Amino acid sequence: MNGERIAIVGVGQTVHKSKRTDINTAELCAEAVEAALADAQMTMKDIDCVILGSFEPADGYSGPDKWIVPEIGAVGKAGFEMQNVGTTGGVVAATGFNMAASGLFQNVLCVAWQKMDEAAGAFGRGGGGANEYWTGQFPMSPITNFARRTYDYMTRSGCTEEHLAMVRVKQDQCAQRNKNAQLKLGLTVEKVMNDFLLAWPIRRLHMCPTTAGSAAIVVCPEKRAKKVTKKPVWVEDWFTCHQGGALTMAEDPQASTLGYACRKIYKRCGITNPKKEINAWEVYEPASTAELRWMEEVGVAEDYKAWKLFEQGKVGIEKEIPFNPSGGVTATNPIGATPVVRVVEASLQIRGDAEEHQVPGTINRALATAYGGQGENVVFLLKKTL
Amino acid sequence: MLKKEEPQDPSVAFRYPRVITYKHSLGYQSKFAHALKMGRIIATKCPVDGRCTIPPRIVCPMHHVKQTEWVDQGQRGKLLSAFKINFPMFDSRTGDLKSWETPIVSIELEGGARMDGWCSETDTEKLKPGMVLEAVWRPAEERQGRVDDILYWKPV
Repeated sequence: MNGERIAIVGVGQTVHKSKRTDINTAELCAEAVEAALADAQMTMKDIDCVILGSFEPADGYSGPDKWIVPEIGAVGKAGFEMQNVGTTGGVVAATGFNMAASGLFQNVLCVAWQKMDEAAGAFGRGGGGANEYWTGQFPMSPITNFARRTYDYMTRSGCTEEHLAMVRVKQDQCAQRNKNAQLKLGLTVEKVMNDFLLAWPIRRLHMCPTTAGSAAIVVCPEKRAKKVTKKPVWVEDWFTCHQGGALTMAEDPQASTLGYACRKIYKRCGITNPKKEINAWEVYEPASTAELRWMEEVGVAEDYKAWKLFEQGKVGIEKEIPFNPSGGVTATNPIGATPVVRVVEASLQIRGDAEEHQVPGTINRALATAYGGQGENVVFLLKKTL
Repeated sequence: MLKKEEPQDPSVAFRYPRVITYKHSLGYQSKFAHALKMGRIIATKCPVDGRCTIPPRIVCPMHHVKQTEWVDQGQRGKLLSAFKINFPMFDSRTGDLKSWETPIVSIELEGGARMDGWCSETDTEKLKPGMVLEAVWRPAEERQGRVDDILYWKPV
Protein backbone atom coordinates (compact mmCIF):
# COMPACT_ATOMS: atom_id res chain seq x y z
CA MET A 1 0.00 0.00 0.00
CA ASN A 2 1.19 3.48 -0.75
CA GLY A 3 0.52 6.37 1.59
CA GLU A 4 0.96 6.87 5.34
CA ARG A 5 0.61 3.94 7.72
CA ILE A 6 -2.48 4.53 9.83
CA ALA A 7 -3.99 3.37 13.10
CA ILE A 8 -7.35 3.40 14.83
CA VAL A 9 -6.84 5.33 18.06
CA GLY A 10 -10.40 5.52 19.34
CA VAL A 11 -13.60 3.51 18.98
CA GLY A 12 -17.14 4.01 20.21
CA GLN A 13 -20.60 2.56 19.75
CA THR A 14 -24.03 2.86 21.27
CA VAL A 15 -25.85 0.12 23.08
CA HIS A 16 -27.86 -1.25 20.17
CA LYS A 17 -31.62 -1.51 20.63
CA SER A 18 -34.70 -2.12 18.51
CA LYS A 19 -36.05 1.31 19.50
CA ARG A 20 -34.56 4.58 20.70
CA THR A 21 -37.59 6.84 20.80
CA ASP A 22 -35.95 8.80 23.63
CA ILE A 23 -33.50 10.53 21.26
CA ASN A 24 -33.27 11.76 17.67
CA THR A 25 -30.86 10.53 14.99
CA ALA A 26 -28.22 13.21 15.64
CA GLU A 27 -28.25 12.44 19.36
CA LEU A 28 -27.78 8.77 18.51
CA CYS A 29 -24.69 9.68 16.46
CA ALA A 30 -23.44 11.93 19.23
CA GLU A 31 -23.45 8.99 21.67
CA ALA A 32 -21.05 7.04 19.46
CA VAL A 33 -18.94 10.12 18.63
CA GLU A 34 -18.54 11.06 22.28
CA ALA A 35 -17.53 7.49 23.11
CA ALA A 36 -14.95 7.35 20.29
CA LEU A 37 -13.48 10.77 21.17
CA ALA A 38 -13.26 9.83 24.85
CA ASP A 39 -11.57 6.56 23.90
CA ALA A 40 -9.06 8.51 21.80
CA GLN A 41 -8.69 11.10 24.59
CA MET A 42 -9.59 13.82 22.11
CA THR A 43 -12.25 16.46 21.69
CA MET A 44 -13.95 17.56 18.50
CA LYS A 45 -11.40 20.41 18.34
CA ASP A 46 -8.69 17.84 17.52
CA ILE A 47 -10.65 16.39 14.58
CA ASP A 48 -9.78 17.82 11.17
CA CYS A 49 -11.89 15.57 8.94
CA VAL A 50 -15.31 13.94 9.43
CA ILE A 51 -16.68 11.20 7.17
CA LEU A 52 -20.21 10.12 7.99
CA GLY A 53 -23.11 8.18 6.58
CA SER A 54 -26.22 6.03 6.88
CA PHE A 55 -28.29 4.00 4.42
CA GLU A 56 -30.64 6.90 3.70
CA PRO A 57 -33.84 5.05 2.64
CA ALA A 58 -33.91 3.16 5.94
CA ASP A 59 -33.81 6.46 7.88
CA GLY A 60 -36.06 8.69 5.80
CA TYR A 61 -33.61 11.60 5.67
CA SER A 62 -31.95 12.81 2.49
CA GLY A 63 -28.49 14.32 2.96
CA PRO A 64 -28.66 13.92 6.75
CA ASP A 65 -25.20 15.43 7.21
CA LYS A 66 -26.85 18.82 6.75
CA TRP A 67 -28.39 18.63 10.18
CA ILE A 68 -26.26 16.00 11.89
CA VAL A 69 -22.88 17.75 11.39
CA PRO A 70 -23.91 20.79 13.48
CA GLU A 71 -25.48 18.56 16.11
CA ILE A 72 -22.22 16.68 16.69
CA GLY A 73 -20.21 19.91 16.76
CA ALA A 74 -18.40 19.32 13.48
CA VAL A 75 -19.27 22.46 11.50
CA GLY A 76 -16.32 23.69 9.46
CA LYS A 77 -14.50 20.34 9.42
CA ALA A 78 -13.41 18.86 6.11
CA GLY A 79 -15.38 15.82 4.99
CA PHE A 80 -18.56 14.55 3.41
CA GLU A 81 -21.35 11.99 3.61
CA MET A 82 -21.15 8.48 2.13
CA GLN A 83 -24.05 6.21 1.16
CA ASN A 84 -23.75 2.71 -0.30
CA VAL A 85 -26.55 0.39 0.81
CA GLY A 86 -25.41 -2.19 3.41
CA THR A 87 -21.76 -1.35 2.91
CA THR A 88 -22.33 2.30 3.87
CA GLY A 89 -20.33 1.96 7.08
CA GLY A 90 -17.67 0.11 5.09
CA VAL A 91 -17.19 2.95 2.66
CA VAL A 92 -17.37 5.46 5.52
CA ALA A 93 -14.45 3.69 7.25
CA ALA A 94 -12.53 3.02 4.01
CA THR A 95 -12.85 6.67 2.99
CA GLY A 96 -11.74 7.82 6.44
CA PHE A 97 -8.73 5.50 6.16
CA ASN A 98 -7.94 6.93 2.73
CA MET A 99 -8.11 10.46 4.16
CA ALA A 100 -5.69 9.60 6.98
CA ALA A 101 -3.38 7.61 4.67
CA SER A 102 -3.25 10.52 2.24
CA GLY A 103 -1.36 12.53 4.81
CA LEU A 104 -3.74 15.44 4.36
CA PHE A 105 -5.44 14.95 7.73
CA GLN A 106 -4.16 14.09 11.19
CA ASN A 107 -7.31 13.07 13.08
CA VAL A 108 -10.12 11.61 11.02
CA LEU A 109 -13.48 10.82 12.59
CA CYS A 110 -15.70 8.23 10.89
CA VAL A 111 -19.28 7.94 12.09
CA ALA A 112 -22.15 5.84 10.78
CA TRP A 113 -25.63 5.20 12.09
CA GLN A 114 -29.09 3.82 11.44
CA LYS A 115 -32.27 4.48 13.32
CA MET A 116 -34.55 1.85 11.90
CA ASP A 117 -37.26 2.34 14.50
CA GLU A 118 -38.24 5.50 12.60
CA ALA A 119 -39.09 3.88 9.27
CA ALA A 120 -40.77 0.55 9.95
CA GLY A 121 -41.13 -1.39 6.72
CA ALA A 122 -38.91 0.96 4.69
CA PHE A 123 -36.42 -1.84 4.34
CA GLY A 124 -36.64 -5.61 4.47
CA ARG A 125 -40.19 -6.06 3.25
CA GLY A 126 -39.35 -5.76 -0.39
CA GLY A 127 -39.35 -3.41 -3.28
CA GLY A 128 -37.92 -3.29 -6.74
CA GLY A 129 -34.30 -3.99 -5.91
CA ALA A 130 -31.33 -2.49 -7.70
CA ASN A 131 -32.92 -1.99 -11.11
CA GLU A 132 -36.70 -1.83 -11.58
CA TYR A 133 -36.66 -3.22 -15.12
CA TRP A 134 -34.73 -6.37 -14.22
CA THR A 135 -35.79 -7.10 -10.66
CA GLY A 136 -38.97 -5.06 -10.14
CA GLN A 137 -41.45 -7.88 -10.69
CA PHE A 138 -40.19 -9.67 -7.58
CA PRO A 139 -40.43 -8.60 -3.96
CA MET A 140 -36.68 -8.22 -3.52
CA SER A 141 -35.18 -7.93 -0.04
CA PRO A 142 -32.35 -9.40 2.02
CA ILE A 143 -34.78 -12.18 2.91
CA THR A 144 -35.33 -13.29 -0.70
CA ASN A 145 -31.63 -12.74 -1.44
CA PHE A 146 -30.54 -15.05 1.36
CA ALA A 147 -33.31 -17.59 0.77
CA ARG A 148 -31.88 -18.05 -2.72
CA ARG A 149 -28.28 -18.09 -1.53
CA THR A 150 -28.99 -20.58 1.22
CA TYR A 151 -31.06 -22.84 -1.06
CA ASP A 152 -28.12 -22.88 -3.48
CA TYR A 153 -25.66 -23.49 -0.65
CA MET A 154 -27.65 -26.45 0.68
CA THR A 155 -28.01 -27.93 -2.80
CA ARG A 156 -24.25 -27.76 -3.37
CA SER A 157 -23.00 -28.66 0.10
CA GLY A 158 -25.26 -31.24 1.73
CA CYS A 159 -25.81 -28.93 4.70
CA THR A 160 -29.20 -29.37 6.45
CA GLU A 161 -31.62 -27.05 8.26
CA GLU A 162 -30.18 -28.33 11.52
CA HIS A 163 -26.74 -27.03 10.58
CA LEU A 164 -28.24 -23.65 9.74
CA ALA A 165 -29.82 -23.59 13.20
CA MET A 166 -26.45 -24.46 14.80
CA VAL A 167 -24.98 -21.32 13.22
CA ARG A 168 -27.74 -19.14 14.66
CA VAL A 169 -27.35 -20.69 18.13
CA LYS A 170 -23.59 -20.01 18.05
CA GLN A 171 -24.25 -16.38 17.12
CA ASP A 172 -26.71 -16.03 19.98
CA GLN A 173 -24.29 -17.56 22.46
CA CYS A 174 -21.73 -14.92 21.46
CA ALA A 175 -24.25 -12.07 21.55
CA GLN A 176 -25.30 -12.98 25.08
CA ARG A 177 -21.77 -12.07 26.19
CA ASN A 178 -21.73 -8.72 24.36
CA LYS A 179 -23.11 -5.86 26.47
CA ASN A 180 -23.90 -3.80 23.36
CA ALA A 181 -25.68 -6.50 21.33
CA GLN A 182 -29.41 -6.14 20.67
CA LEU A 183 -30.80 -9.70 20.52
CA LYS A 184 -29.87 -12.08 23.33
CA LEU A 185 -32.42 -14.82 23.03
CA GLY A 186 -31.14 -18.01 24.68
CA LEU A 187 -31.71 -20.00 21.51
CA THR A 188 -31.60 -23.74 20.97
CA VAL A 189 -31.37 -25.62 17.67
CA GLU A 190 -34.96 -26.77 18.21
CA LYS A 191 -36.21 -23.23 18.82
CA VAL A 192 -34.60 -21.97 15.61
CA MET A 193 -35.89 -24.89 13.54
CA ASN A 194 -39.45 -24.28 14.74
CA ASP A 195 -39.37 -20.53 14.20
CA PHE A 196 -41.62 -18.80 11.64
CA LEU A 197 -40.61 -19.61 8.08
CA LEU A 198 -40.13 -16.46 6.00
CA ALA A 199 -38.97 -18.05 2.74
CA TRP A 200 -37.51 -21.53 2.92
CA PRO A 201 -34.94 -22.16 4.31
CA ILE A 202 -34.83 -18.72 5.95
CA ARG A 203 -36.69 -18.47 9.25
CA ARG A 204 -37.26 -15.20 11.09
CA LEU A 205 -34.44 -15.92 13.55
CA HIS A 206 -31.98 -16.36 10.68
CA MET A 207 -32.39 -12.76 9.54
CA CYS A 208 -30.74 -9.68 11.02
CA PRO A 209 -33.01 -7.49 13.16
CA THR A 210 -33.89 -3.82 12.68
CA THR A 211 -31.76 -1.75 14.99
CA ALA A 212 -31.23 1.78 16.24
CA GLY A 213 -27.52 2.24 16.73
CA SER A 214 -24.39 4.15 15.82
CA ALA A 215 -20.64 3.52 15.78
CA ALA A 216 -17.59 5.76 15.36
CA ILE A 217 -13.84 5.47 15.02
CA VAL A 218 -10.94 7.92 15.11
CA VAL A 219 -8.03 7.19 12.80
CA CYS A 220 -4.62 8.88 12.55
CA PRO A 221 -1.41 8.60 10.53
CA GLU A 222 1.44 6.70 12.24
CA LYS A 223 3.32 9.56 13.95
CA ARG A 224 0.19 11.09 15.39
CA ALA A 225 -1.21 7.68 16.41
CA LYS A 226 1.90 6.88 18.44
CA LYS A 227 1.53 10.18 20.32
CA VAL A 228 -2.18 9.75 20.97
CA THR A 229 -2.45 6.22 22.32
CA LYS A 230 -0.49 3.35 23.81
CA LYS A 231 -2.84 0.87 22.15
CA PRO A 232 -3.08 1.78 18.45
CA VAL A 233 -4.81 -0.72 16.20
CA TRP A 234 -2.91 -0.65 12.95
CA VAL A 235 -4.87 -0.77 9.74
CA GLU A 236 -2.75 -3.19 7.74
CA ASP A 237 -4.83 -3.10 4.57
CA TRP A 238 -8.34 -2.48 3.24
CA PHE A 239 -10.08 -3.06 -0.04
CA THR A 240 -13.40 -1.87 -1.42
CA CYS A 241 -14.80 -3.98 -4.20
CA HIS A 242 -17.71 -3.16 -6.51
CA GLN A 243 -20.24 -5.94 -6.86
CA GLY A 244 -20.28 -6.26 -10.65
CA GLY A 245 -20.85 -9.47 -12.52
CA ALA A 246 -24.44 -10.23 -11.46
CA LEU A 247 -27.65 -8.26 -11.15
CA THR A 248 -30.38 -10.88 -10.87
CA MET A 249 -30.16 -13.71 -8.37
CA ALA A 250 -30.41 -16.29 -11.13
CA GLU A 251 -27.33 -14.93 -12.81
CA ASP A 252 -25.18 -15.95 -9.86
CA PRO A 253 -26.89 -17.01 -6.64
CA GLN A 254 -23.57 -16.91 -4.79
CA ALA A 255 -22.52 -13.53 -6.23
CA SER A 256 -19.94 -12.10 -3.88
CA THR A 257 -16.70 -10.16 -4.03
CA LEU A 258 -15.63 -11.22 -0.53
CA GLY A 259 -13.32 -14.03 -1.65
CA TYR A 260 -11.80 -11.84 -4.34
CA ALA A 261 -11.20 -8.95 -1.93
CA CYS A 262 -9.66 -11.26 0.69
CA ARG A 263 -7.33 -12.94 -1.79
CA LYS A 264 -6.23 -9.51 -2.92
CA ILE A 265 -5.29 -8.21 0.53
CA TYR A 266 -3.88 -11.54 1.75
CA LYS A 267 -1.48 -11.46 -1.19
CA ARG A 268 -0.53 -7.85 -0.50
CA CYS A 269 0.11 -8.66 3.18
CA GLY A 270 1.86 -11.99 2.61
CA ILE A 271 -0.85 -14.05 4.32
CA THR A 272 -0.79 -17.64 3.10
CA ASN A 273 -2.79 -19.36 5.85
CA PRO A 274 -5.59 -17.00 6.97
CA LYS A 275 -6.99 -19.51 9.45
CA LYS A 276 -3.73 -19.42 11.41
CA GLU A 277 -2.56 -15.90 10.69
CA ILE A 278 -5.84 -14.13 11.50
CA ASN A 279 -6.98 -14.61 15.09
CA ALA A 280 -10.46 -13.04 15.15
CA TRP A 281 -13.17 -12.40 12.59
CA GLU A 282 -15.99 -9.87 12.42
CA VAL A 283 -17.68 -10.63 9.12
CA TYR A 284 -20.95 -8.93 8.06
CA GLU A 285 -23.54 -11.72 7.73
CA PRO A 286 -27.05 -10.29 7.10
CA ALA A 287 -28.46 -13.79 7.58
CA SER A 288 -27.03 -16.41 9.92
CA THR A 289 -26.85 -18.82 6.99
CA ALA A 290 -24.46 -16.48 5.15
CA GLU A 291 -21.84 -17.12 7.79
CA LEU A 292 -21.15 -20.54 6.26
CA ARG A 293 -20.30 -19.28 2.79
CA TRP A 294 -18.48 -16.25 4.16
CA MET A 295 -16.24 -18.54 6.27
CA GLU A 296 -15.28 -20.30 3.07
CA GLU A 297 -14.71 -17.10 1.13
CA VAL A 298 -12.43 -15.58 3.77
CA GLY A 299 -10.42 -18.80 3.84
CA VAL A 300 -11.16 -20.48 7.18
CA ALA A 301 -13.05 -23.39 5.62
CA GLU A 302 -12.96 -25.35 2.38
CA ASP A 303 -15.60 -24.55 -0.22
CA TYR A 304 -19.06 -25.81 0.84
CA LYS A 305 -17.72 -27.52 3.97
CA ALA A 306 -18.02 -24.82 6.65
CA TRP A 307 -21.21 -26.44 8.04
CA LYS A 308 -19.10 -29.42 9.15
CA LEU A 309 -17.15 -27.12 11.49
CA PHE A 310 -20.40 -26.35 13.33
CA GLU A 311 -21.24 -30.05 13.51
CA GLN A 312 -17.82 -30.58 15.08
CA GLY A 313 -18.32 -27.66 17.51
CA LYS A 314 -15.24 -25.83 16.26
CA VAL A 315 -16.70 -22.32 15.98
CA GLY A 316 -17.06 -19.96 18.95
CA ILE A 317 -15.27 -17.47 21.18
CA GLU A 318 -13.06 -20.06 22.91
CA LYS A 319 -13.05 -22.46 19.96
CA GLU A 320 -10.67 -23.12 17.09
CA ILE A 321 -12.39 -20.52 14.90
CA PRO A 322 -13.50 -17.36 16.73
CA PHE A 323 -15.92 -16.16 14.07
CA ASN A 324 -18.07 -13.15 14.97
CA PRO A 325 -17.41 -13.20 18.71
CA SER A 326 -19.63 -10.11 19.13
CA GLY A 327 -22.66 -12.14 18.04
CA GLY A 328 -22.55 -10.59 14.60
CA VAL A 329 -25.19 -9.00 12.47
CA THR A 330 -28.04 -11.42 13.24
CA ALA A 331 -27.89 -10.05 16.79
CA THR A 332 -27.36 -6.37 15.90
CA ASN A 333 -27.95 -4.56 12.62
CA PRO A 334 -28.07 -0.78 12.41
CA ILE A 335 -27.51 -1.23 8.64
CA GLY A 336 -25.46 1.83 7.72
CA ALA A 337 -23.43 1.54 10.91
CA THR A 338 -23.08 -2.25 10.90
CA PRO A 339 -19.70 -2.34 9.08
CA VAL A 340 -18.26 0.27 11.48
CA VAL A 341 -19.50 -1.90 14.35
CA ARG A 342 -17.47 -4.74 12.77
CA VAL A 343 -14.33 -2.53 12.70
CA VAL A 344 -14.96 -1.39 16.28
CA GLU A 345 -15.40 -4.98 17.47
CA ALA A 346 -12.30 -6.21 15.61
CA SER A 347 -10.31 -3.32 17.15
CA LEU A 348 -11.53 -4.21 20.65
CA GLN A 349 -10.42 -7.80 20.09
CA ILE A 350 -6.91 -6.68 19.09
CA ARG A 351 -6.66 -4.34 22.08
CA GLY A 352 -7.93 -7.06 24.41
CA ASP A 353 -10.81 -4.79 25.42
CA ALA A 354 -13.77 -6.89 24.31
CA GLU A 355 -14.56 -7.87 27.91
CA GLU A 356 -16.97 -10.81 28.16
CA HIS A 357 -16.69 -11.72 24.48
CA GLN A 358 -12.91 -11.33 24.26
CA VAL A 359 -11.26 -14.13 22.29
CA PRO A 360 -8.58 -15.73 24.53
CA GLY A 361 -4.89 -15.28 23.76
CA THR A 362 -3.15 -12.52 21.85
CA ILE A 363 -5.06 -11.26 18.85
CA ASN A 364 -2.37 -10.17 16.43
CA ARG A 365 -4.63 -9.81 13.45
CA ALA A 366 -8.36 -9.44 12.92
CA LEU A 367 -10.49 -9.21 9.80
CA ALA A 368 -13.63 -7.06 9.56
CA THR A 369 -15.93 -6.83 6.55
CA ALA A 370 -18.93 -5.02 5.13
CA TYR A 371 -21.60 -6.54 2.88
CA GLY A 372 -24.20 -4.85 0.74
CA GLY A 373 -26.38 -5.03 -2.34
CA GLN A 374 -26.16 -8.46 -3.83
CA GLY A 375 -22.53 -9.24 -3.09
CA GLU A 376 -20.55 -6.08 -2.62
CA ASN A 377 -17.84 -6.14 0.03
CA VAL A 378 -15.36 -3.99 1.90
CA VAL A 379 -12.59 -5.82 3.75
CA PHE A 380 -10.38 -4.48 6.55
CA LEU A 381 -7.30 -6.16 7.97
CA LEU A 382 -6.30 -4.86 11.41
CA LYS A 383 -3.09 -5.60 13.26
CA LYS A 384 -1.69 -5.30 16.80
CA THR A 385 1.86 -4.31 15.82
CA LEU A 386 3.43 -2.80 12.73
CA MET B 1 -46.05 28.91 31.27
CA LEU B 2 -44.86 25.62 29.91
CA LYS B 3 -45.23 22.60 32.11
CA LYS B 4 -42.07 20.62 32.69
CA GLU B 5 -43.43 17.32 31.48
CA GLU B 6 -41.68 14.70 29.39
CA PRO B 7 -43.80 13.71 26.37
CA GLN B 8 -44.91 10.08 26.41
CA ASP B 9 -43.88 9.48 22.80
CA PRO B 10 -41.58 12.19 21.48
CA SER B 11 -41.81 11.03 17.85
CA VAL B 12 -43.70 12.79 15.07
CA ALA B 13 -45.06 10.74 12.18
CA PHE B 14 -44.84 11.74 8.51
CA ARG B 15 -46.27 9.91 5.52
CA TYR B 16 -45.13 10.36 1.94
CA PRO B 17 -48.23 9.62 -0.16
CA ARG B 18 -47.03 10.29 -3.69
CA VAL B 19 -46.80 8.43 -6.97
CA ILE B 20 -43.66 8.85 -9.04
CA THR B 21 -43.25 7.56 -12.56
CA TYR B 22 -39.72 6.82 -13.67
CA LYS B 23 -39.09 6.58 -17.39
CA HIS B 24 -35.84 4.67 -17.71
CA SER B 25 -34.15 4.46 -21.10
CA LEU B 26 -33.05 0.93 -21.84
CA GLY B 27 -30.32 1.83 -24.36
CA TYR B 28 -28.84 -1.21 -26.09
CA GLN B 29 -30.95 -3.45 -23.83
CA SER B 30 -34.04 -2.31 -25.79
CA LYS B 31 -33.12 -5.12 -28.21
CA PHE B 32 -33.91 -7.58 -25.42
CA ALA B 33 -37.19 -5.77 -24.66
CA HIS B 34 -38.18 -5.82 -28.33
CA ALA B 35 -37.51 -9.58 -28.50
CA LEU B 36 -39.77 -10.12 -25.49
CA LYS B 37 -42.62 -8.43 -27.39
CA MET B 38 -41.99 -11.01 -30.12
CA GLY B 39 -42.11 -13.86 -27.58
CA ARG B 40 -38.38 -14.48 -27.73
CA ILE B 41 -35.67 -14.43 -25.05
CA ILE B 42 -32.26 -13.29 -26.25
CA ALA B 43 -28.95 -12.78 -24.47
CA THR B 44 -25.53 -11.33 -25.17
CA LYS B 45 -22.64 -13.75 -25.60
CA CYS B 46 -19.04 -13.32 -24.42
CA PRO B 47 -16.57 -13.85 -27.29
CA VAL B 48 -13.98 -15.24 -24.85
CA ASP B 49 -15.79 -18.05 -23.05
CA GLY B 50 -19.14 -18.12 -24.86
CA ARG B 51 -21.13 -17.38 -21.68
CA CYS B 52 -24.55 -15.87 -22.38
CA THR B 53 -25.89 -13.28 -19.93
CA ILE B 54 -29.26 -11.87 -18.96
CA PRO B 55 -29.40 -8.96 -18.32
CA PRO B 56 -27.59 -8.50 -21.62
CA ARG B 57 -24.36 -6.60 -21.16
CA ILE B 58 -22.47 -4.48 -23.64
CA VAL B 59 -19.21 -5.61 -22.05
CA CYS B 60 -18.49 -9.00 -20.46
CA PRO B 61 -18.11 -8.29 -16.72
CA MET B 62 -15.52 -11.03 -16.36
CA HIS B 63 -13.35 -10.63 -19.47
CA HIS B 64 -13.86 -6.92 -20.11
CA VAL B 65 -14.44 -7.38 -23.84
CA LYS B 66 -17.25 -6.00 -25.99
CA GLN B 67 -20.20 -8.37 -26.51
CA THR B 68 -21.83 -7.85 -29.88
CA GLU B 69 -23.39 -11.26 -30.50
CA TRP B 70 -26.98 -11.91 -29.40
CA VAL B 71 -28.14 -15.52 -28.99
CA ASP B 72 -31.70 -16.90 -28.87
CA GLN B 73 -32.13 -18.70 -25.54
CA GLY B 74 -35.09 -20.91 -26.49
CA GLN B 75 -38.33 -21.34 -24.57
CA ARG B 76 -37.24 -23.93 -22.03
CA GLY B 77 -34.75 -24.16 -19.21
CA LYS B 78 -33.68 -26.24 -16.27
CA LEU B 79 -34.66 -25.32 -12.74
CA LEU B 80 -31.84 -24.10 -10.51
CA SER B 81 -33.79 -23.14 -7.41
CA ALA B 82 -37.30 -22.38 -6.18
CA PHE B 83 -38.63 -20.72 -3.07
CA LYS B 84 -41.89 -19.32 -1.78
CA ILE B 85 -42.36 -16.22 0.37
CA ASN B 86 -44.49 -16.95 3.42
CA PHE B 87 -45.21 -13.44 4.61
CA PRO B 88 -46.61 -10.23 3.07
CA MET B 89 -44.09 -8.19 1.10
CA PHE B 90 -44.41 -5.03 -0.94
CA ASP B 91 -45.34 -5.28 -4.59
CA SER B 92 -43.16 -2.62 -6.18
CA ARG B 93 -45.57 -2.35 -9.12
CA THR B 94 -48.47 -1.28 -6.90
CA GLY B 95 -46.87 -0.21 -3.62
CA ASP B 96 -49.17 -2.56 -1.72
CA LEU B 97 -48.29 -5.16 0.85
CA LYS B 98 -49.50 -8.49 -0.51
CA SER B 99 -49.20 -12.23 -0.07
CA TRP B 100 -47.26 -14.17 -2.67
CA GLU B 101 -48.62 -17.62 -3.47
CA THR B 102 -46.42 -18.59 -6.41
CA PRO B 103 -42.77 -19.63 -6.03
CA ILE B 104 -39.91 -17.59 -7.50
CA VAL B 105 -37.67 -19.80 -9.63
CA SER B 106 -34.22 -19.43 -11.16
CA ILE B 107 -33.81 -21.05 -14.55
CA GLU B 108 -30.87 -21.88 -16.78
CA LEU B 109 -32.16 -21.50 -20.32
CA GLU B 110 -31.34 -23.77 -23.25
CA GLY B 111 -28.95 -21.09 -24.52
CA GLY B 112 -27.09 -21.02 -21.20
CA ALA B 113 -28.25 -17.64 -19.83
CA ARG B 114 -30.07 -17.53 -16.51
CA MET B 115 -33.15 -15.65 -15.41
CA ASP B 116 -35.68 -15.44 -12.60
CA GLY B 117 -39.41 -16.00 -12.98
CA TRP B 118 -42.63 -17.16 -11.36
CA CYS B 119 -43.68 -20.82 -11.43
CA SER B 120 -47.15 -22.34 -12.01
CA GLU B 121 -46.41 -25.22 -9.64
CA THR B 122 -47.13 -23.87 -6.16
CA ASP B 123 -46.01 -26.99 -4.29
CA THR B 124 -42.26 -26.37 -3.88
CA GLU B 125 -41.79 -30.02 -2.84
CA LYS B 126 -42.46 -30.92 -6.45
CA LEU B 127 -39.88 -28.49 -7.78
CA LYS B 128 -36.54 -30.26 -8.01
CA PRO B 129 -33.29 -28.76 -9.32
CA GLY B 130 -32.68 -29.90 -12.90
CA MET B 131 -36.33 -30.34 -13.93
CA VAL B 132 -37.35 -28.72 -17.22
CA LEU B 133 -39.65 -25.68 -17.26
CA GLU B 134 -41.23 -23.88 -20.19
CA ALA B 135 -42.12 -20.19 -20.59
CA VAL B 136 -45.81 -19.19 -20.65
CA TRP B 137 -46.28 -15.76 -22.26
CA ARG B 138 -48.84 -12.99 -22.05
CA PRO B 139 -50.95 -12.72 -25.21
CA ALA B 140 -48.88 -10.86 -27.87
CA GLU B 141 -51.11 -7.76 -27.78
CA GLU B 142 -50.54 -7.34 -24.02
CA ARG B 143 -46.75 -7.56 -24.07
CA GLN B 144 -44.82 -4.41 -23.13
CA GLY B 145 -41.24 -5.56 -23.55
CA ARG B 146 -40.92 -6.17 -19.82
CA VAL B 147 -39.54 -9.29 -18.13
CA ASP B 148 -43.02 -10.03 -16.82
CA ASP B 149 -44.24 -10.51 -20.41
CA ILE B 150 -43.38 -14.08 -19.39
CA LEU B 151 -46.29 -14.76 -17.06
CA TYR B 152 -44.74 -17.83 -15.45
CA TRP B 153 -42.80 -21.01 -16.07
CA LYS B 154 -44.55 -24.38 -16.08
CA PRO B 155 -43.04 -27.83 -15.57
CA VAL B 156 -42.84 -29.78 -18.85
